[in-house]
Amino acid sequence: MLSRLLPKPRLLSTAAASRNVVVVDGIRLPFALTSTIYTDQLAVDLQRLAFTGLIAKTGLDKRDVDYLIAGTVIQEVRTSNLAREAAIGAGFPASIGGHTVAMACISSSVAITSAAEKIQSGHASAIIAGGAETFSDVPIRLTRPIRQKLITLPKALKKGGPLGAIRHMTKGLKMKDVALETPAIANYTTGEVMGVSSDRLSAKFGVSREEQDAFTVRSHTLAGKAHKDGWYNGEIVPYKGSTEENGIKADSTIESVSKLKPAFVKPHGTHTAANSSFLTDGASASLIMSEERALELGFKPLAYLRDWSFKACDPFEELLLGPTYCSQQVLSRNNLNLQSDIGVFEIHEAFAGQILSNITAMKSQKFADEKFNGKVVGEVDVDKMNTKGGSLALGHPFGATGSRLITTAARRLQDEGERFALIAACADGGLGHACILERYD
Amino acid sequence: MMLNRALRKTLASQQTRSILRQTGLRPVRLIAPSFSTAAQTSSSSLAPPRASSASESTPFVSTPSRKYEYFTNVELTPSGVAVIKFDNPNKKVNTLSFSVMREARTLWDELASDPALKSVVFTSTKDCFIAGADIFDISSVKNKEELVPVIEEALMFFLKMKERGVPMVAAIHGPALGGGLEWALWCDYRICTDSPSTKLGLPEVKLGLLPGFGGTQNLTSLVGVQKAMDMMLTGKDVRHDKAKKIGLVDLVVAPQSLESVAIATAEGLVNGTIKKKQPKKSFMDKMIEDTPPGQYLMWKKIQEMVDKNTGGNYPAPYAIIDCVKYGLSHSSGLDKYKHEREQFAKLAATKESEALIGIFDAMTQQKKNPSKVDPLPVRKVAVMGAGLMGAGIAQVTAEKGYEVLLKDRDDAACGRGITYMTENWEKKLKRKRMTKHQFDINTSRVIPLADGTSSVKRHFASADLVIEAVFENLELKRQIIQQVEEMTPDHCVFATNTSAIPIASIAAPGPEVKRPQNIVGMHYFSPVPSMPLLEIIPHEGTSDEALATAFAVGTKQGKTCIVVKDVPGFYVNRCLGPILVEVSALVKEGVPLETLDKAMKKFGMPVGPITLIDEVGVDVASKVSTFLASADLGKRMGGGDLSLMTNMVEKGWTGRKSKQGFFTYSGKKDKKIGPQVTAYLKEFTGGKVSNMSEVDIQDRIATRLVNEAAKCLEDEIIENPVAGDIGLVFGIGFAPFKGGPFRYLDAVGVGQYVDRMNGFADTLGEQFEPCQLLKDYAASGKKFHG
Repeated sequence: MLSRLLPKPRLLSTAAASRNVVVVDGIRLPFALTSTIYTDQLAVDLQRLAFTGLIAKTGLDKRDVDYLIAGTVIQEVRTSNLAREAAIGAGFPASIGGHTVAMACISSSVAITSAAEKIQSGHASAIIAGGAETFSDVPIRLTRPIRQKLITLPKALKKGGPLGAIRHMTKGLKMKDVALETPAIANYTTGEVMGVSSDRLSAKFGVSREEQDAFTVRSHTLAGKAHKDGWYNGEIVPYKGSTEENGIKADSTIESVSKLKPAFVKPHGTHTAANSSFLTDGASASLIMSEERALELGFKPLAYLRDWSFKACDPFEELLLGPTYCSQQVLSRNNLNLQSDIGVFEIHEAFAGQILSNITAMKSQKFADEKFNGKVVGEVDVDKMNTKGGSLALGHPFGATGSRLITTAARRLQDEGERFALIAACADGGLGHACILERYD
Repeated sequence: MMLNRALRKTLASQQTRSILRQTGLRPVRLIAPSFSTAAQTSSSSLAPPRASSASESTPFVSTPSRKYEYFTNVELTPSGVAVIKFDNPNKKVNTLSFSVMREARTLWDELASDPALKSVVFTSTKDCFIAGADIFDISSVKNKEELVPVIEEALMFFLKMKERGVPMVAAIHGPALGGGLEWALWCDYRICTDSPSTKLGLPEVKLGLLPGFGGTQNLTSLVGVQKAMDMMLTGKDVRHDKAKKIGLVDLVVAPQSLESVAIATAEGLVNGTIKKKQPKKSFMDKMIEDTPPGQYLMWKKIQEMVDKNTGGNYPAPYAIIDCVKYGLSHSSGLDKYKHEREQFAKLAATKESEALIGIFDAMTQQKKNPSKVDPLPVRKVAVMGAGLMGAGIAQVTAEKGYEVLLKDRDDAACGRGITYMTENWEKKLKRKRMTKHQFDINTSRVIPLADGTSSVKRHFASADLVIEAVFENLELKRQIIQQVEEMTPDHCVFATNTSAIPIASIAAPGPEVKRPQNIVGMHYFSPVPSMPLLEIIPHEGTSDEALATAFAVGTKQGKTCIVVKDVPGFYVNRCLGPILVEVSALVKEGVPLETLDKAMKKFGMPVGPITLIDEVGVDVASKVSTFLASADLGKRMGGGDLSLMTNMVEKGWTGRKSKQGFFTYSGKKDKKIGPQVTAYLKEFTGGKVSNMSEVDIQDRIATRLVNEAAKCLEDEIIENPVAGDIGLVFGIGFAPFKGGPFRYLDAVGVGQYVDRMNGFADTLGEQFEPCQLLKDYAASGKKFHG
């Protein structure tokens, strides 16, 4: 009924014209500090739990799913197709396929939009898309020279016997080769650690340490409040009976976070352990359907998935500025005004400095002059942004965050009665993501 | 309340586990593998059937395309490999019966004379090599001495095959158990598949028997004494990986290539390109098995283990040890086989074996759905309440492939249930009883639902069976039925897991209960995953479909189900009541607690009654007995003084859980009778001390138990003596080697038992008066079984 009273959507992009895609529901496992509650779980286990959690939450019959997509970043070699293994473990019929995507911190965002594209093109009607990440069990490897020697060892053994094998292993080996390689959160092309890039970005946009710390405290406070109010009930499926997210420090104060020393650029940098998102384990899943299929199965969706962008930028200069470019693209393409049309913002908080830089860039005339023919993206109303906490407090399991943003934004639309939500996130490689949701009535 | 969790828990943990240990019975495993043929052949009567089902229907007629009944026509390959395939035409599995052996001899005689024969491959057309010997053959021979020549004939047949001097290869896929494995052991080479259904074992001990086709000898010489003893004394089977490791098989292949590899191997053994590798003994094994001091220690250890596990009540393990020892000292010649079959015949004649076979038979019989109609197809089962009981039910349900909804108040309660299951499965995973995939699938099948979860209705809309395991409160249970009926489809069966509330009250039609015909009682015993029994209680209005469905699901859950009338205590708990009263009477008369326990352990109960009460909780036992005392048992609950336990409950002595019951507990194992208990007992007994004989104690407790069981049969609370035996053996651990109360009565003689009871009744009171049924049986000299 209500939908009849509302003005017809004045959108939307030509790309999204074919079939309406809806977000039916979404869940996440409690996000948790790495090496705390999920130490004995692999990423595939977390993804499996998220898949079954979504089934529990929605009451969907597994046989009604057409496909599954999962996002993940740090790969466990045994489960390179995380979605498939998790789906089998979760008891989905073997006939339902699935694939895995990697797009750094927006991996599950692209999982969801891939699902949407499959639905639009008519290749599927109901897809579960999500992502999982664990840093509790990252692959720690031997150094490359040793790896290479080991791979060719059997040959050497065959040829030269045990002695030959020893010679093969030791020849040309340097002391520094006898070490272990752990994955670093750094860009491959630039070699730069993410925190350093963000620190530079903040300097460029003049985001101060104080602003960052204040924003961090805000994130923790809001996340703590949302948990306390039970706002996340249903969105977080319990793990071992609990929905607690242990990275949230609801009692953070400016004093406590401002004591910390810079973590990346020393001594004058502004990024600290507090105002950067922490290593997190977790998983998420969203149920994406065509509108007609959702209605046929008796679901009331949360939101339409209207449009999305994955515009990228220069990783050397502005690695984490993707949200600005992508937001600009989806808004202008759909003729939406950031201030007057968007009522819900969910923007990924990789670093307080990164999100504040993006907000600054979006409203900057100078930046608009340089990049967008003088048309500013708009000024984000911070009071409408990440009001249930963000990655700084909730945590950021790389592969899972994208789905969390969509679910929270969609639920907020329903909750707050706003019409449009803008979701944006940055990712390694200068990648970005933005996406528009419209409330479903 | 009533026989609550704790009581059942103890029954399970202490009693059953110990019964199972003693008998080597593992409920689930026993049902599954070994003599599973019984399931197909047994009718509902206990009459020992004759031979094969084929001969019952149409006698087999030999044709050129099918020369033999139990074998396909033998193919001889160009290279001289004869492929002999077991193929019982009427069953899913192959078994060794007298008729199979007879036919095998004919087949061999025909084949052996063919000069083209170079080697032999034995395999099967089914997903089963040979599941074992047909126990009905054994049961049908009244004079067990007659088994000796029959076995000898079989053995001669095996020897004859060996003498032909062609290599024999056993190609095993699926179970090769008992006589089946023994057949393979006579071969020169064994190949098995890596399928999970492939298992090799000698489970005869579970039926109080031993492997009589040379198994005790051939297995020992193949894998060594220690491993052979482990297999034969426990009856457990081994999977392909372990079989290869211990040298029981020579090669493991994929099922798809079994036959071709077996033929190639047979050829290779003939032309010498394949040589059988002798399994190497580890240094440790050599020291233990091949040196006199090692042997001494080994046998001592084995003896100790057997003594401990059998309590001296089971002769089979001792006979197995004897045969192996005899074989080691008479390694050449055929004497060792003769000794083995003589021992076999002796065991077959024992009451213990008869009792164990009786239990096994009963289990098979109880699998047959008693209902006239087909059960409803069940895909989704909802369990209300995620406590120990609910979680246990959910666990066994999910393990068998059902989708499970686990409903409780909040996330934390659901979480505890999930954790309980997950931990149990993790244990199985660690013991390789489950693969990681099965683990994942099982955990994924259980959907926890807290109150207020938005999808509850949607989930329940497709539930086929709901099992309620909430507190014992009639109002609550009826409320739950109301909730459930609103959400579930019309066909959905509602099972209530209660031990104290009449099913009829729960199902009484009213505003809360609109579909009473769908309601049935399913009384599980805790901990559900390890307790093998399930009582199914229809009320007057329960539909046939509902009963059939509950029975089918219960059976699939791995439980042996008995259908019981809707009376207080149902069957198992009802029989416990009089025991508890009698215990209080004996204590009152001044029988020392330890004496009581010792006497009943000797009788064959896994733990004594005093320990039992402590384990389940004095408060619980007290409630059970008070409840039954006020129920309809009348004089049969008389003669004791239940204040024994009520006083203790007032003092806060609730048993092991509070570290103080009859015994005072410190640490995990230490228990003693403290001065406060001594003082209390002195007050309770008025200082009396009795030196009653062990037999009197045993009989006073046992008669009341047995009489109650008989009374249940008389009142048609249980359907037949088979159900009565199974119920008490699996429910409270009634000595398995006695086969249950009715087999026990048959063995002792009902007349004699009635006399004994009358004797007690004269001196002690009417509570000992035998029930009418016992009197009738005594008068007529009838037996309960056969």
